[in-house]
Amino acid sequence: MPDTAAGADAGRGSPRPLLWACAALGGGLLLHADRVPAWAALLALGLLLWRVASARRGRWAPALALRALLALALVVLVLARFRTLNGLAAGTTLLILMAGLKLLETRTRRDYFVLVGTGLFLLLAACLDRQDLLRVPLYALEAWVCCAALAVIGAQGLAPRAALALAGRALLLAAPLAALLFVFFPRLPGSFWAIPRDQQAVTGLADSMSPGSILSLVTSYDTAFRVRFAAEVPPPQERYWRGPVLHEFDGHTWRRAPDAYRPRQALHFLGTAYRYHVWLEPSRQHWWLALDTPAHSPDLHAQLTYDYELLGSEPVAQGLAFEAVSYTHTAAAAPLAAGARREDTALPSGSNPRTAQLAASLRGRTASDAQLVQAALEYLRGGGFVYSLEPPPLGADAVDDFLFRTREGFCGHYASAFVVLMRAAGIPARVVTGYLGGEWNPVARFFVVRQSDAHAWAEVWLEGRGWTRVDPTAVVAPERLRRGILDLLPQGLSVSERMIRSSPWLAYLLQRWDAANDWWSERVLQFDYGAQLDLLARLGIRTPDARQLGWAFMLALLGWLALITWHVGRGGRAARPDALARAYARLCRKLARIAPPRAPHQGPLSLAAVVAAHRPELAPAVRALLERYAQLRYGPPQGAGQARAVAEFRRAVAQLALP
Amino acid sequence: MSSAGAAPADAAALARVLTSLETVILGKPAQIRLCLACLLARGHLLIEDVPGVGKTTLAHALAHVLGLAWQRVQFTSDLLPADIIGVSVFDRASQRFNFRQGPIFTQLLLADEVNRASPRTQSALLEAMEERQVSIDGTTYALPEPFFVVATQNPHEQLGTYALPESQLDRFLMRVTLGYPDAAHERELLRGGERRELLPGMPAALSAAGVAAVQRAVRAVHVADALLDYTQGLIARSRERTDLKIGLSPRAGQGLVRAAQAWAYLDARQAVLPEDVQAVLGAVVAHRLEARDPAPGAPADFAAEIVRAVPVPL
Repeated sequence: MPDTAAGADAGRGSPRPLLWACAALGGGLLLHADRVPAWAALLALGLLLWRVASARRGRWAPALALRALLALALVVLVLARFRTLNGLAAGTTLLILMAGLKLLETRTRRDYFVLVGTGLFLLLAACLDRQDLLRVPLYALEAWVCCAALAVIGAQGLAPRAALALAGRALLLAAPLAALLFVFFPRLPGSFWAIPRDQQAVTGLADSMSPGSILSLVTSYDTAFRVRFAAEVPPPQERYWRGPVLHEFDGHTWRRAPDAYRPRQALHFLGTAYRYHVWLEPSRQHWWLALDTPAHSPDLHAQLTYDYELLGSEPVAQGLAFEAVSYTHTAAAAPLAAGARREDTALPSGSNPRTAQLAASLRGRTASDAQLVQAALEYLRGGGFVYSLEPPPLGADAVDDFLFRTREGFCGHYASAFVVLMRAAGIPARVVTGYLGGEWNPVARFFVVRQSDAHAWAEVWLEGRGWTRVDPTAVVAPERLRRGILDLLPQGLSVSERMIRSSPWLAYLLQRWDAANDWWSERVLQFDYGAQLDLLARLGIRTPDARQLGWAFMLALLGWLALITWHVGRGGRAARPDALARAYARLCRKLARIAPPRAPHQGPLSLAAVVAAHRPELAPAVRALLERYAQLRYGPPQGAGQARAVAEFRRAVAQLALP
Repeated sequence: MSSAGAAPADAAALARVLTSLETVILGKPAQIRLCLACLLARGHLLIEDVPGVGKTTLAHALAHVLGLAWQRVQFTSDLLPADIIGVSVFDRASQRFNFRQGPIFTQLLLADEVNRASPRTQSALLEAMEERQVSIDGTTYALPEPFFVVATQNPHEQLGTYALPESQLDRFLMRVTLGYPDAAHERELLRGGERRELLPGMPAALSAAGVAAVQRAVRAVHVADALLDYTQGLIARSRERTDLKIGLSPRAGQGLVRAAQAWAYLDARQAVLPEDVQAVLGAVVAHRLEARDPAPGAPADFAAEIVRAVPVPL
């Protein structure tokens, strides 16, 4: 870039504009630091620091050719890493790298503005990416820094303190406008702002389960979803939240059944109907977690599969809320279809021979399927099995190994082994993954189900009863029903989490935080077209169309702008009135009833003269008051007595009776 | 408002000064008060009017009543700086130059028709006004204390006059215009004869020391921040106006505050009010503000407009 006059000026001047532009950009970079590859974040931050340091030494600027070469190299690097420049991760990485490069040729004021603009763009990208309550203060801070940087860099070149004050005031003035836009701006139904998501960050249940796979969830304290029951709350031993139901087993990994239409198993629903509201955290998965057996699909965007999974049509990317009705007791209304029976008794041939022997011996000892199930559970109870989050590794015949050698594992091992055992005995069985339990939050009055509540259990088909839930883990570790895994096995927790759980005070804070999060996701993040219609209906706009909304919005906008204009126009001339000015203004209003109102340029004594001319009989009292005001306002300050004198003046004004 | 402004002796003396002046100059109490305020604020005074309305009489009366030594110089086009300041004369007896002081070495100098003198002579006078000292042949002579210049000029006589440039007008704190007396006072004038003859019969109400004391007291009159805000507002307004050649100078602002202090003191108050500023504003800015397009509007109108445009701080 050629060295312009302005460039020389900005380059040699104080380093303050550069520092602020770098702060604005650096803030934007930090918002994305955990989203982009570490090398990219480090490179961009390194360039930033290098630029600041070189400004202090007064030496900088690589040649144009070098900069061009660097830019090209970085583009190639990003392409090599992501195979595309599209999408959130690749785009963000490219943006922060180029912003870092821009620093190399930053010398004019215009360049500083470009840096701040990039910081704001990064902020926008971050807002689209993640909207957790925890990040909101960070976003606000970055917006503040960026606006203040504009004030520092701008022609006026404000001092940092003044710039921060100005930016803060401007943002506060804009906040109501933002709220207006948020409430009234016409929303399009559907996820208009959905951005291409990367599939990398998977939290939550997967559509397959191998012996160790649940472990990664179990040690995570993140919230999976929140539930609020409308009336009846199921007892703890029935709080099973159904996720993926797994049918296919290859000797090592359990998988869902291949996608094909199957008629849903007809059921009689028994016992209490539980009605509840669920708020799902983003999981990038299709499952909508529902209590044991949902009665019907709550939403057009989710279908109830033949094995009573709730399956969303799209991955849960932004968080989601639904209302559902579930039962925890059911009975089959029709026999098991032949295809389903085949599927749920299939085992890989030749695997786990000792398990097959055990199944045969159990079959020989029992008269019915139900008795066999009980006998198998007895076997687990009495076989010296141990619940552990750190089981020894398993060999090729994983179930044999587990049942007869290691005898140590957690829910995945027990559910898997139990289902294999049942199938070996000819009983249709399947693995259900999901969550068990949930933590009651007394502040927000809902249950928080965390990833650490992830669980796997079994369902077996018993003739005459249909699919019946059996939880082999509960036999080995009955406590698991009432308490979370993490209570059972505290060594699975990190130090900070253990601290939280051991201190009631911290736990209370955490519950508060959960409640605030709940409010945030319910009221703000989920504020969609429907919620907008509800709100407008409550405001009296029954059938809003886009034009009406637009008018309402425009009116509100104009009103707000008028208010700001008035405020700014007034603020330029006079400071906020103090107590004395307020009392004097009141006196003037009173006097305006008996004489022409005070003109803006009239001082107190001229006012006294005007009043005296109109109402001579009141002149002495009025003149005394006005002289008192003149003394207080223009006389020498009276130190400590001043406040008292002002208060007395205010009382005297209040007591002034004008007949 | 407390009226413990001037000490009783000063207050009585000032009241006597005003009454005496009013018996000499009939029907012009406001102008007399302004002139007195100007002198008490240590400012020089410019009286501009047509001949025969009592300019010289007023200056004479001021000097007499205040008890000051005074000199009068009639300015003409051939007047030289030395005629005002003085001249060094070689004394044969002592074989050295002796400085013979000019008429400027007095307490009140009446410079009659100041615009008739050449610019060179004018500037010698105006320099002395600003510095309150004169330098001749490398020696500096301080002027007496107090030192006032009361200059008069006739605005309508253009032939053979040198109008004072703006930079020199700025050194006068106020410009006062007397104007014709009203009918009643004119009749009294006609009946009473020469007013100046009254002067010798009047006692001096103050002395040089008394004037200096009052000047010190004037400087002590309180000026609140709110009032400075107001003054700045007035000055800013004069600079904002596009129909004026130039706005008020910082020196004008200083003078405005000092004049307002003197006005408040004459009202026996210990604090300056916006009304004081408004009262002296016309006289302080009269010779400083000039219309860009000189056709309409006398400068006094500018003052009134500026006052109306600037709200008094609450």
